[in-house]
Amino acid sequence: MSSRRGLAVMLAPYLLGLAALIVVPAAITFGLAFTEYDLIRPADFTGLSNFAELAGDDVFLISLRNSLTFAAVAVPLRLLGALGLALLLHRRFRGVGAYRTSVYLPTVIPDMAYALLWLWIFNPLFGPLNLFLGLFGDFSPRWLTDPTAAQAAVIVMSLFQIGEGFLVAMATRQEIPGELYELASTEGARPWHVFRRVTLPMMAPTLLLLLFRDTIFSFQANFVPALIVTGGGPPPYATTYLPLFVYRNAFEYLRYGYAAAATLAMFVVTGVVVYLQWRIVRRWRRSFVV
Amino acid sequence: MNPPGRWAPRQGLVASGGWRHLPAALVAATFVFPLWFMLSGSLREAGLPPPRTPELVPWPLAFGNYERAIELVDLPRYALNSLMVVGLAVPLTVLFASWAGFAMSQLPKRTAGVMVGVSLVALMVPVTALLVSRFALFRLLHLTDTFVPLVAPSLMGTSPFYVLLFYWSFKRVPGELFEASRLAGYGSLRTWWRVAMPLVRPVTVAVAVLAFVFTWSNFIDPLIYLFDERKFTLPLGLRSLAQLDPQNFPLLLAGSVMATAPVVAAFLYVQRHFLQRHRGVGWLGR
Amino acid sequence: MSGLTLEGIHKTYGDVVALRGLELTAAEGELLVVVGPSGCGKTTALRVVAGLERPDAGRVLIGERDVTRLAPAKRNASMVFQTYALFPHLTAGDNIGFGLRARRMKRAEVTLRVREAAALVRCEEVLDRHPYELSGGERQRVALARALARHPDVFLLDEPLSNLDAQLRVETRAEIESLHRRLGATMLYVTHDQVEALTMGDRVAVMRDGSVEQVGTPEEVYAAPVNRFVARFIGIPPLNILPVTHRGGRFLAGPFSFAMRGNDERLARRPLELGIRPEHLVISTAKGNAVATVALVEVAGPETFIHVDAAGHRLIVRAPGSMRPKLGSELLIGVRRANTLLFDAETGETLS
Repeated sequence: MSSRRGLAVMLAPYLLGLAALIVVPAAITFGLAFTEYDLIRPADFTGLSNFAELAGDDVFLISLRNSLTFAAVAVPLRLLGALGLALLLHRRFRGVGAYRTSVYLPTVIPDMAYALLWLWIFNPLFGPLNLFLGLFGDFSPRWLTDPTAAQAAVIVMSLFQIGEGFLVAMATRQEIPGELYELASTEGARPWHVFRRVTLPMMAPTLLLLLFRDTIFSFQANFVPALIVTGGGPPPYATTYLPLFVYRNAFEYLRYGYAAAATLAMFVVTGVVVYLQWRIVRRWRRSFVV
Repeated sequence: MNPPGRWAPRQGLVASGGWRHLPAALVAATFVFPLWFMLSGSLREAGLPPPRTPELVPWPLAFGNYERAIELVDLPRYALNSLMVVGLAVPLTVLFASWAGFAMSQLPKRTAGVMVGVSLVALMVPVTALLVSRFALFRLLHLTDTFVPLVAPSLMGTSPFYVLLFYWSFKRVPGELFEASRLAGYGSLRTWWRVAMPLVRPVTVAVAVLAFVFTWSNFIDPLIYLFDERKFTLPLGLRSLAQLDPQNFPLLLAGSVMATAPVVAAFLYVQRHFLQRHRGVGWLGR
Repeated sequence: MSGLTLEGIHKTYGDVVALRGLELTAAEGELLVVVGPSGCGKTTALRVVAGLERPDAGRVLIGERDVTRLAPAKRNASMVFQTYALFPHLTAGDNIGFGLRARRMKRAEVTLRVREAAALVRCEEVLDRHPYELSGGERQRVALARALARHPDVFLLDEPLSNLDAQLRVETRAEIESLHRRLGATMLYVTHDQVEALTMGDRVAVMRDGSVEQVGTPEEVYAAPVNRFVARFIGIPPLNILPVTHRGGRFLAGPFSFAMRGNDERLARRPLELGIRPEHLVISTAKGNAVATVALVEVAGPETFIHVDAAGHRLIVRAPGSMRPKLGSELLIGVRRANTLLFDAETGETLS
């Protein structure tokens, strides 16, 4: 088999997959957003009315706000967690393998099982969490029935699944040549100085990548928890996030066009947030010079 | 980090963790506790009054929940369905991802760069953004309520990330090996099979496991594509269980344990490949 | 400036003994070069002085201070790493000033010191560039400047020239020497290259297997090695070694024989070996010279190294570059007894 043709053959399924499962659906989403479609009758072109409706839809606006709040709180926490864990566990010492595995384990649990598990843990009356907290006094938040507590619950759930970020951060930290740290030590740098002037700048590109990726994921990752654990509640819509909003409109109310419009809006919002982060970080980078 | 006042042993030697042991152990315990409670909760006798204090190990141990879960909902069948999907998706994923990664690694620099860029962009596209239209697409092809939509992503290696993993690994192979193989008259396919793949076994294993975990745990896709209850995969079956007897946590946790065990087992088996290398960067290549 | 001393340093890594009872002293203002084959422990010794390795036993003294238990930061020693260890994300100037900033020196003063250090090594033009924009030689200078900027008590250099090409190596060597003279700095310099050792060092310490075999001036180490190891390690091409027997009042070593004198009777009771440096083998038609067949001719510019077989032994002869004998041809070689070294074949110790 000729070399060039062979390569083309090998690349073909990937390109086909990308086209069929990402590019085309993306285009369709874009198109659907301007229609009203319930899969039975042919699509009905409605121009921008979906977007107008979204702008006035309270549920959508609440979902948007919830998603933004979630992203604003969860992403920094997850990043800090991943970084902290990476710095704690990157060196090889006795037993570190077990520690690293433990940290990664919750990430591996299937979403559904994970959701049921937390449904139980967060149970206000007899879930282990409140029982444990109850040992210290009268503190037993109504996790799934209080709006703020419910949002906190979803955030907590996401904090346990930082395995991938941890892995990437750890690999990056391990890539930094040990000599630089030895040098810093002979030059008399204190731990904070070393962190700020050596570790952080050298890990910065990866951390940035993690920031962007995590932000993007945070706008969609909380679908299963929202669906199973909190049901989008407590009422009226405390933990309805954008993915749940899209899902409901598409698969429960059968308004695919409307859902697509919401998806598009979600995409734009994500893009704007990432762009803003990029600008802020760029300005901040200047302060990393000695 | 070498804080002044502490000597750092030479890189590569296993040292005592010193101060790190305590926080590391605490952290590890915190991350393990959800799993622990999943297991211990599932062994609780159903129907008993709820405990007053957090219970690390329930007494008496009740294995009945597992039986009951299987009775209520056809878990074995769902497990089989999951197995079938995984059995198709994982080998196909490894195949197509390694094909694409290999092909990319052999392309001229510019084309490869474009492909990597495309892959990264594709990686960033939110999946939920495509839920609706993918569904519409499959519906048009009359492929809803089949396993096809569940296995289809393996065409692109389930995720561009796995393709990139292979790409980075193949790039680390010295180019001379491939040139030698070309001189020997091997075409691309044979080179891939005979030369490239044996050199990246850890990555292959890693991708296989990651794909297995992803496909097995996948909840959203079966949720929207499968209507016939007999076709349900395990996560979906778990949901049915939850709908049937929502308050019966020992039961639900038993189901969860059964759904989680294979994945955790697979993960524990291979984690040493990417969690215990000293320079775990060998295949991440970032 | 201070001198430095290593007393009785032991260091093991698991089963491997890296340093055994190492004793080493560098006087104030001295450039002490530590040479040895790879694995002899020279780099470990350097790292022990720096504080990057903690010895299992022994003391490290910088000047009068016992720094054995002190962290690297507190020892006031500067180290130049083999790979320079420049921070890729900082400019050359920021790299040089790194240690000073770490000690919270004011920015203005840091800039002053950085300029000063850069001027000493002549790298002022590159201060605003990043390491990836610099050539190997420039990076070297930046690494040196960084070590200088802190005005340490002791300089530690870990094979600083090994990553440079031959030409650059010679130039940089001269620069380091001149720096040493100008500053009167105490320098501990580790290298595997004996040419560097012999040309640069005020004194040379030859190490093997974790301890020092001999310390002395370059002349001492060359002309009066204490044992066979040092004799063979120092000198290119390496010393020729011949087993020695004795018969009828004469020593016989390969193709050569010498009359025994004075003490020789006593020495002859031990198994002996004779060492002859290639430069001391003379090709001439003098009486008594041995016949040697040319086996290999290595032309090295101004010199030729001729490998010959004589009486069943392989010897290397250093000859002027104009000599290019044909393979298989015969030469007459001889040596003066005064230029030979006699070793105890078992202990390796030099006997005369």
